[in-house]
Amino acid sequence: MPYAYTKDVLLNSLREKISFLNIFILKNNKLPQNRNIDIYVNAAPQDNTFTLEELAFYNGKNGNPAYVAVNGIVYDVTNNAAWAAATHFGLTAGRDLTSAFSSCHTGNASILNSLTAIGTLINE
Amino acid sequence: MNNCSFYNNRINKAAELIEKAKSDIFNGKINKINLVWLELTGCSGNIISLLNGNNPDFTYLITDMVNFIYNNSLLAAEGKFAIENLYNILKEDYVLAVEGAIATKNNGLYNIIGRIADKPLTALEAVKTFGEKAKHVIAVGACATHGGVSAARPNPSESVSVQSVLNRKVIKLPGCPCHPDWFMGTLAHILLYGEPELDNLDRPIMFYSTLLHDICPRRSYFDKGIFAEKLGDKTCMFKLGCRGPVTRVDCPLRQWNDYVNWPIKDDTPCIGCAQFGFPDAMEPFINYDTTRIINNE
Repeated sequence: MPYAYTKDVLLNSLREKISFLNIFILKNNKLPQNRNIDIYVNAAPQDNTFTLEELAFYNGKNGNPAYVAVNGIVYDVTNNAAWAAATHFGLTAGRDLTSAFSSCHTGNASILNSLTAIGTLINE
Repeated sequence: MNNCSFYNNRINKAAELIEKAKSDIFNGKINKINLVWLELTGCSGNIISLLNGNNPDFTYLITDMVNFIYNNSLLAAEGKFAIENLYNILKEDYVLAVEGAIATKNNGLYNIIGRIADKPLTALEAVKTFGEKAKHVIAVGACATHGGVSAARPNPSESVSVQSVLNRKVIKLPGCPCHPDWFMGTLAHILLYGEPELDNLDRPIMFYSTLLHDICPRRSYFDKGIFAEKLGDKTCMFKLGCRGPVTRVDCPLRQWNDYVNWPIKDDTPCIGCAQFGFPDAMEPFINYDTTRIINNE
């Protein structure tokens, strides 16, 4: 096989193995620490909890940051490459996307590890 | 162009495979295969794209590599004779390439591609008949691989992907359209070595493995947070809604139309046309309503 093609095959299988290994790491994870978000003028509430109503404000439009909630944790996806224009595969930010996440990323929960957690979702 | 050997290897991969296939056929080491191309519920963009192929070009493909049995836009035969020729291939080995989705409403009556035994031949029946018996089935283009534009909301014809109506492996080449190199490279690989290495979504790894974002020439702008504010700006178009970060394909290397250009090079964002979910999951294609750009940097 030409060398460039072999490299693609190796990278692809490496990616799958790393993904698989990450699941075990995630099982031992505690809740991620909250990060500093004071570069935004409209900062999150001081206690870093969000109701669904408050979360809806952070939809990435009109200069607002883009936040999404998965499994009760609120993540900042404003500068996440996969959330260009605050949308991701037809989803919009500012919402609880737990069911969308689990139906699409089953077995790949390690994706959440790479996101910036900034708060928790609470019921009003 | 570029002195990077990895870069040149990627560009020339399809041509290399085709050249080897041609010389092996000439030396009698392998036989030309039969190729049936069905245009179903689609726009025929993929056959047009194939005709744009350059390195290798379409003429090489049909004279030296395959016996091109059927393609309703290109074949010389007409009517009954064309369909009879098509059905005669069922007795032999052939590779089936399908472009366009499959309309399923009213038992497929929304897409009729001919007449057989005095009844309309629907896309649904054709793909089932020819798909089950083919040596390899290649779904070419977004509509064939996952429904694509034909299946976009609200999908009045109830179009579905080729895989949904076939009970066998289907090699998927997403793209709107599919680049001629991706198709011809896959076909040449089938001829020489059999089915290429596929990822978990049945796409050939040699064309569809790298994230476009990871090989984008504007990546350093993204990393530094230097974003374009309107079309025509030369910096990263993340804020305009570029889908490069979620699309796995090699457009930045291979480029289009004789390898001269591609969307981002022409200052317009990637719309993720070669990723599953296009177009509904890739909307909006352009967005001016994004997060604030911090000015004191």
